[in-house]
This record gives sequence, C-alpha cells and structure tokens, in this order.
Amino acid sequence: MRYSYGIMDERKILLYKPHLFLNSNDLLVFPSKDFHKWHGDIKEYIDGLYQINSINLENGKSININELNLASGLLTNITDELEHLFNTKRISDFSYHYVSTLDEKYTKRRGNWYTSDMMKCDMRIPIKPSINPGIQHQNMMEIIDHAAREFIMARRKKSKKLTDPSN
Amino acid sequence: MKVSGGIPNGRIAEVYNPVLFQEHEEVIVFAREEFNRTYSSIREQIDYINKVDMHLDRVEEWKLLDYWTKILERINILDINMNLMFKEEPVQCYLDAYLYDTIRSSEKKVALSGNSVSVQLKHSI
Repeated sequence: MRYSYGIMDERKILLYKPHLFLNSNDLLVFPSKDFHKWHGDIKEYIDGLYQINSINLENGKSININELNLASGLLTNITDELEHLFNTKRISDFSYHYVSTLDEKYTKRRGNWYTSDMMKCDMRIPIKPSINPGIQHQNMMEIIDHAAREFIMARRKKSKKLTDPSN
Repeated sequence: MKVSGGIPNGRIAEVYNPVLFQEHEEVIVFAREEFNRTYSSIREQIDYINKVDMHLDRVEEWKLLDYWTKILERINILDINMNLMFKEEPVQCYLDAYLYDTIRSSEKKVALSGNSVSVQLKHSI
C-alpha cells in the first residue's frame, strides 16, 4: 500500500514521498505515532489468536470452548480498535508499544485438511480425457455392441410377427 | 485518533482539518481509496468471524474442529491485510482479499507474448 510520512508545517503537510500520490487522489492523514500504536495493538491481538492456536498445533487437536471464548474476547477487542480508528475523541495510550516477534511458523496458513483431500480426489477425475487408440477402439466396440443389440431386437420382432397367429 | 482528509498539491498536501494537528507533528498519509479497501476487507473478516462465533452452539464442542479452521483462515487474511499497511509494494487489495493464494505465472508464457509483441512491431514498421 502506498504511504508516506509527512510533517505539519503552517497548517499544510510537507510530504516526504510526494511522488506516490496523484493530484486526483484523496488522502487520509493520521498522526504517525498514534497510527503505529493502533497498528501495534491490533497486531498484538492477532498474535494472541495465533498463540491460542499454537497450543494445540503440535498435537493436531482442535481448541476447546474455553479457548474459543478467549479468542472471541480478542476479536471483540480488535472490533473495538477498528472503531476507535475514526473516533477523534479517543486518546491513545502510549505507555507501551507492541512489536510483533512471533515466529513465522505460527502464522502460516494451514489448509483445511478436508478440502485439500477433496481437491486431490477431484484432480484424479479426468475431466476431458485425451483420445487415444485404446479409447477409440472402446468407442467403436460400444457402437458395434449397440448395433448388434438393435439387430437382435429387430430379428426377434420379425420372428414374432411371423409366428403370430393373428396375422 | 485524530484523522483528516486531504488532497495532494505537489510537494505539499492540504488538510481539510488542520486544526486537529499540532505544528511540526509527524503524520502518516495514505491514499484514501486504498486504505478504504484494506480497512473494509478487515471489517469483513471480523464480521464473518463474529457471525460464526454467534451462531456456534457452545454445547457442541465437537463442531469446533471445523469452525476453528474456518475462523483461522479469516484471521490469516486479517493478518495479511494488517501487514499490507506498511508494505511499500503496490497492492491490488481486491485480489489479495479474495485470492490470497497467488498463482505463479509461468515464464514460458511471458516469453511467448514478448515475442509476439516484437513481431507485431516489425509488421507495423
């Protein structure tokens, strides 16, 4: 995402990277200290969620109800933070600043095993089989079989007609 | 948090609400549209998780196995979106929000299309 720092100077902003924005762009301006604090807070909550997940990660187990309640608490906090971003009356608390140091292995996306298995199953099905001599032969034999069956049916009908006493 | 809209004007940017900010205060400036997309994507993920959470019957613990993976997927998108805010590279937020598994383009195709362009140029000359 394009972003630039700037400094307030006589009620205007001196941009450090003015080339990033076109003249037609609308801008959103936040105080950088507050914004970093806000970003750090949300990252802290997200890391919390990953930590809840990491307890059971190695055992391959899922979480229990208590842990879910904990996670939903964190989510409520994230929702609150998101709303606070545009609340001009709120004053940020600068007593600490969170910097995420979580190992990347905890933040990796793990696929849903069920769906990845299903995908493998789906891949096995040939959607459009290539036409090779074997399939051509098979197709020919199917046509011949069908023709033979029709032929036999027709013959039976004929013989029935001949033997029918009503005729 | 103090927030204001603005428009760029060359090296400087004019703010709609300059009273909010102090003199010589450092500010961070985003393009409104891009920020809006990322922010609404984050909101969407949160809403989805909250909905799942609300409809979940706390008695049926065995259902958590499935729901937790779904929630985790959304948390992951949320995390990606948060990280995007301080990434310098240009972002196609719409795509990132919905197709976060990027497909690698094969080099062959690129080379082929490059050739065809040069051929066309020769014809036009």
